[in-house]
Order: sequence, then structure tokens, then C-alpha cells
Amino acid sequence: MEMLLMGVCVAVFGMAIACAAFGAAVRPARGAAAAAAEMKAEPIKTVAPAKFFINQVSVPTSNGHVSVPIEALLLQLERHVRLEQAAAESFLAQPTSTLLHSKTVSPFLN
Amino acid sequence: MYGLLKGLAPADVERTLALGSRIALSSGDELFPLGAEAECLYLISRGQVNLTLPMRVRDRETDVLVEERTAGQTVGWSALIPPHRFTLRATAPVETEVVALSREVLEQFFTAHPDAGYMVTLNLAAVIGQRLQLFQAMWLREVARMVELRAA
Repeated sequence: MEMLLMGVCVAVFGMAIACAAFGAAVRPARGAAAAAAEMKAEPIKTVAPAKFFINQVSVPTSNGHVSVPIEALLLQLERHVRLEQAAAESFLAQPTSTLLHSKTVSPFLN
Repeated sequence: MYGLLKGLAPADVERTLALGSRIALSSGDELFPLGAEAECLYLISRGQVNLTLPMRVRDRETDVLVEERTAGQTVGWSALIPPHRFTLRATAPVETEVVALSREVLEQFFTAHPDAGYMVTLNLAAVIGQRLQLFQAMWLREVARMVELRAA
């Protein structure tokens, strides 16, 4: 009898926890709007210019891309062209499908 | 030795070079601009010539390197190929010297010395063919990457 009562108690307690968890999961987005309002109220943080060892740093833009100084970008582009030409010349020296599609260490492709 | 004059008799090499005029370029000098009328082709005696095309990068028009030519190589073959317009811009990134050969003078020389004209034409075809094959391979590599990106 005691075992039966203990089992019932455990079952009721378990059921209560499950109901609480379910309620929390399906609660309407009332909190979401409040959270958004709270987030809007936060002051906008700006990225402070880094001045430690280097003058220019790569800062993620709003679309998530990393902005590279244009001079660095042009150097990367030159390097990419040289590597691609070298890869194409390797293919011309020995035309195989593997060499035609060989990978380079170009920063644009890695 | 200039690639364009490969296979010519030494006397013809001398005659051909005597038709040209030497041009010294300082670092950063422009040899010819994009779209200009191509009256001369150039044999690079020393230094380097960069061939570039304009490209917009972040709203800024800039010259992007397409090819680098060094001593012994030829640039400006548009001078011999219609419609005789330069399709690239040529600049010297370092102290450079070239021999400029005008189309008019070369054509007269080739008419008078057809053997030399034939050899130069073969060598010129090799230069043009190399450019075509190189860019064909580069183009295909780019297309393969585009397809890979689209399929991903």
C-alpha cells in the first residue's frame, strides 16, 4: 500500500513538471515583443578603432562580410590572378582534368 | 633574344631591330592606354610590362592585373591584328626598355622579306594562341567554381 501511494505521488509530481515545461514551451510570444523592446532600448554599440600594433583592422559589416582595406583587396586580387594563371599554365603544360581543376591557395577561394 | 624573332636568320633579326626605336620607361609609366589605336608592337628588352583591365571595386575604378610580360616577350600585338585597337592597358611597374616596331614599317619589311614575315607571323600566332589557351583554361576554372557554388 505504501509502495502504491509512493508511486502515485511520484507520478503526480512528474506530471506537474511535464505540464510546467509544456506551458513554458507553448507560451505566446508576449515575451518576444517585450524582449525586442528591451533590445531596442539598449544603446547602439560602435566598434572602436583598434590602435594596437596595426592601423587598420578588418571589421565585420552589417551583412556579415569582413571589410578589407581596398589596397589589401587589390593585392589579393593580383595574387589570385597570378595563382590562377600559374594553375592554367600547369594545365597547358600537361593537359589533364586534375590539373585543370587543381586548387590554389588564393585567399578568394579559401 | 626576342620570342617574336625566333627562327629568323641573324641578319634578319638585326634588320628587324634596326626598324624599331628604343623607348625607356620609368616605373609607373604607361606604354599604351586601353582602346588607343595600335600603331606599334613592342619587344621588351628589359624590365616588365603589366597588362591590365579596368574593374570596379567598391565603387572605385581600378586597373586589375591581367598579364605580366618580361624581357624577350612581346606586347601590343593588336598593332598587327585588325581592328588595330589596344584591348588592354600596358604600364611599366619597374624601369623598362622596349623596342617599338610600327605596323607600317613592319609590313613593308615583310613584303620585301617574306621568309622573315612568315617566321614572325608564326611566332605572333604562338603568342596569341598562348593567350587564348591560358584564358580558356582560366575561364573554365571559373565556370567550374560557379557551378560548384550554385550546386552547393
